[in-house]
Amino acid sequence: MKLPKKWLCEYVDFCVSDEEFIERMMWRGFELASVERELPDVTGVITGKILDISQHPNADRLSVCQVDIGEKTVQILTNAKNVFVGAVVPVAYEGAKIGETLFSRATIRGVESCGMFCSGAEFNLTEDEYPGAESDGILILREDTPLGMDIADALEKDDIIFDFDLTPNRPDCNSIIGLCREAAAALGQIMKTPEISHYDGNGQGEVQVTVENPVLCPRYCGRVVKDIHIAPSPKWMQQRLRSAGMRPINNIVDITNYVLLEYGHPMHAFDLACISDSHIIVRNAVEGELVTTLDEKQHTMDGDMLLIADPTKGVGIAGVMGGLNSEITEDTKEVFLESAVFLGSNIRRTSRKLRQSTDAAARFIKGVEPVNAYLALERAVELIEQLGAGKVAGDIIDVCAADLNERAVLVDPVHINRLLNLQLSAEEMLSLLSTIHISGTLEGGGLRLNVPHFRTDIESGIEADWDIAEEVGRLYGFQNIAAELMKGETFQGSIPESFRNEDLVKDTLVGLGCLEMYNINFTSPATLKALQFADGDERLDAVRLLNPFGEEQSLMRTSLYSGMLESCQRNINRKTGHYRFMEVGNVHFDRGLTLPEERKLIGLAFFSENETFFTLKAAIIRLLEAFHIDKVRFVSGGSGVFQPGRKALVYSGDTLIGEFGQAHPNVLEYYSLNQPVYLAELRFDAISECKNAALSFKPLPRFPLVSRDLAVVVDENVEAQTLCDVIANAPVGTLVENIELFDVYRGPGLIPGKKSLAFSFTLRAEDHTLVEDEIRADFEIIIAELAKNGAPLRQ
Amino acid sequence: MQEELQRIRRETLERMAGIVSEAELNSVQQEVFGKNGRLTTILRTMGQLSKERRAAMGAAVNEVKKELEVRLSEIRAALKQKAQEQRFAREALDVTEAADFALPRGALHPMTQTYRTIRDALIGMGFSMFDGPEIELDDNNFTLLNLPLDHPARDMQDTFYINDKVLLRTHTSPCEIRALQTIKPPFRLIMPGRVFRVDEVDATHYPIFMQIEGFVVDRNLSLANLKGTLDSFIHAVFGKDIKTRLRPSYFPFTEPSAELDMSCTICGGKGCRVCKGTGWIELLGCGVTNPHEIMNCGYDPKEWTGIAFGIGVDRVTSLKYGISDIRIEYENDARFLKQF
Repeated sequence: MKLPKKWLCEYVDFCVSDEEFIERMMWRGFELASVERELPDVTGVITGKILDISQHPNADRLSVCQVDIGEKTVQILTNAKNVFVGAVVPVAYEGAKIGETLFSRATIRGVESCGMFCSGAEFNLTEDEYPGAESDGILILREDTPLGMDIADALEKDDIIFDFDLTPNRPDCNSIIGLCREAAAALGQIMKTPEISHYDGNGQGEVQVTVENPVLCPRYCGRVVKDIHIAPSPKWMQQRLRSAGMRPINNIVDITNYVLLEYGHPMHAFDLACISDSHIIVRNAVEGELVTTLDEKQHTMDGDMLLIADPTKGVGIAGVMGGLNSEITEDTKEVFLESAVFLGSNIRRTSRKLRQSTDAAARFIKGVEPVNAYLALERAVELIEQLGAGKVAGDIIDVCAADLNERAVLVDPVHINRLLNLQLSAEEMLSLLSTIHISGTLEGGGLRLNVPHFRTDIESGIEADWDIAEEVGRLYGFQNIAAELMKGETFQGSIPESFRNEDLVKDTLVGLGCLEMYNINFTSPATLKALQFADGDERLDAVRLLNPFGEEQSLMRTSLYSGMLESCQRNINRKTGHYRFMEVGNVHFDRGLTLPEERKLIGLAFFSENETFFTLKAAIIRLLEAFHIDKVRFVSGGSGVFQPGRKALVYSGDTLIGEFGQAHPNVLEYYSLNQPVYLAELRFDAISECKNAALSFKPLPRFPLVSRDLAVVVDENVEAQTLCDVIANAPVGTLVENIELFDVYRGPGLIPGKKSLAFSFTLRAEDHTLVEDEIRADFEIIIAELAKNGAPLRQ
Repeated sequence: MQEELQRIRRETLERMAGIVSEAELNSVQQEVFGKNGRLTTILRTMGQLSKERRAAMGAAVNEVKKELEVRLSEIRAALKQKAQEQRFAREALDVTEAADFALPRGALHPMTQTYRTIRDALIGMGFSMFDGPEIELDDNNFTLLNLPLDHPARDMQDTFYINDKVLLRTHTSPCEIRALQTIKPPFRLIMPGRVFRVDEVDATHYPIFMQIEGFVVDRNLSLANLKGTLDSFIHAVFGKDIKTRLRPSYFPFTEPSAELDMSCTICGGKGCRVCKGTGWIELLGCGVTNPHEIMNCGYDPKEWTGIAFGIGVDRVTSLKYGISDIRIEYENDARFLKQF
């Protein structure tokens, strides 16, 4: 809300500096958005009178002017043709600044100039504001303008505009009078409330008003004005409107806008000639009823929307916009002024449904109140009469279902003190509240308060203590309430297991060289398709947004792959040099329930010439080791994201932990990547579930281990894991502690279609040092078992 | 015999002086102290001497033996040292050559780091943790928080909807409702998580961001406790020198509501571009929980008071590290991530 200082000073004695005022308002909950001078970008421009004009000796188009700028006479060059001796003009004297342009002394073809003259355009001045402002050339000021005066003062554009951010609970301050009320309290002043002269009607031009739905329209005031004389509004009103950021149009429009600024109450003017039977009916629209608004848009109404109608047609959408069929035109002779209260929640729904947001609707949505509806109409009528824009005809029509009494609110001062940790007496509270027009009396232990009509935010129900605590708090000053740590019962602060597990996942992966990504949760149908999830894959069951930014971001992600691949692409294109990334994030699945299933996933993306399927596998194993997960198995398989034959599922026992593999060439192509990328997606819940939390110490082995290597020849399709299992399960008398596949050989010396796998394994006995005979015996058992399973020793 | 002893001594010392290798040393040792060594031989022949002379001779031989042995070990040590020096010279490295990394350096996203810093500070103040879903019921996100349907303050938070009743949570406050519905007060909770707003992407807006909600429900809490709690946690995160101010504001789910500003971390309060010349930076919204919210969850607001605050982790991260464009936090450029 813009508050011009001159307007404020009309109601309040401004007794402090601007900075102090801004600070006081801040402590009262009114945060400054900006403070601007009316001529924002102009400094150092002053008025001067041309005393003499002569021709520049070396330039035909330039004149040399001697200019009296008050305390001295300076020389200015100009190419303008409209200057003359005796003209008072704006001078951008050296050091002046307009926008980004700084004016300085310059010598042009041997003649010095101390600055430049300015045109009206340089001050964004219109013809209405200053005659001659929009004509070609230099702005010629009134002859009697004092010399050496700042141009802002000379043009009477010297106001300061405070712009405050309003919170939604204070719609009353969305008006000059409302904001001045708070400003007066902040300045410790009594506000000079403007008085409105009442104009009696002459009994003619009666209009009948019927309000069919008083819930949606608690008050409807109106009045007929005759002999409309459309003309420009007076200068002072135009000036006010401009300073508050509005453009003057004509007297009738300007008056409604002026009242809107002053009282914050929107009004509408209908051409009375267009209202059949002079009968206004405020009713719910009929389903499918069509109304064309002033902006020539046709709207289809529904039965919940409120319509302003006459007996034959709709003439406006209540609280949103007037109808085109009853618009004020040049030929309008009689108008019907409407000043009503419409229920905010209903207007909000209508405005959203029709996609029609107007300033009026915004105000009704935030809340206007019934007393103001009447005052605003009286004020508008007063201005119409005073400015000669028309004559009031009928009396005020007032259909009111609203309670206009001051609200009585009962509060408990003890409770208010407790909420604020203060020890104010009831009298002290009353004294603070009186500055914002809340009066009251002691009643038993409580306070009975009279809340003025404009404070719609203060409730009389359960919330009253909190509402008043908020007022008392801000009037006393939050800055004066001492900070205090919480007392009472001691609490054990703790990080639950699930959060600690997430930390462990991230910390382990960071230790494995991963950078952590944060990717956006949105994806698109096209991307899901490109990731090649097979029919029936749950990752196709994405949750769809009702109001996405676009199709590209219309789904909630069901997998981390898409975001990670996009970020990988970015890193590869930018040659950032890093090649290991991870993300821990949520995905959602539509299960047909009210809320979708939310699942936390761990994503990995590795890419560089040194990365392989097996480096990714190693990282996954290390991660699972950090959780002491046992019975880890890798089984060939996985989703369509991966290249066939280069993908695996990870299990712990029978619990699926996730999948990983080399990205499918089609997927890489979709992301314009031409190097291998290895991806993994693991389920956080599965890892947490399989975590071995009950760790216990095993005594260290006391006897030495023995290592043995062997190589076997098998068919190409035999998985190494099968042979590891054979070795591990061989019926030997010792412990096979560790089996490692250390080499795979294909090529000369082997039959095509065969491969040689070389294993290293260690043997140990718990209770003695192994002797050579035992070792040999066990080794032979293992060799025999392998041979039995189609894996003879390589010769 | 005495002469023979002195000759052995003299000749051995002479030979020792020229030794350059361990092998030579070993052969001298063998020659003198070995089974048939010269000193050994003398000792063996001493039996022929008279008792008196034997004693005197024995002492003399021992003295020479001891002297030679000391010398021998000195030379051995010198040789070892020399050999080591040669090896060290041979194996000396240019320590400024490139390091050999097995793995690249991983790093947590700066927002995770900020989140942990805030979390740890609050855990130390007796807070526990609580989690809620990213896709929420309209009821939990708005209605039960005192934001009924068509309440104008709903427009403060532009919302992504799934349908009439389900939406992407616009703040972590719905966790307050879930906490009140499942945990008996008193409690002190923090609830971190991702939240969503329909914000077009620019330098200060992104449709997703991370929030940490703080929520305490207890008897006899006040605005002063909120002030004390926030001060102490902000000092933990930003340092003791930071000044704070709590100024009145409005949120539907708190009353009184406030915004917490802290002195600008860039200019220290003198006024700069980041704080728009005010010296203060808006950090978070907070307040005393609105009684309707407490009542909506089945508790008596006159008995149970809540205090609540919501911190934007993205914002704190930007302030802490001087990041002026929030978009970079979601680009995942390694050169950005590695700076933290």
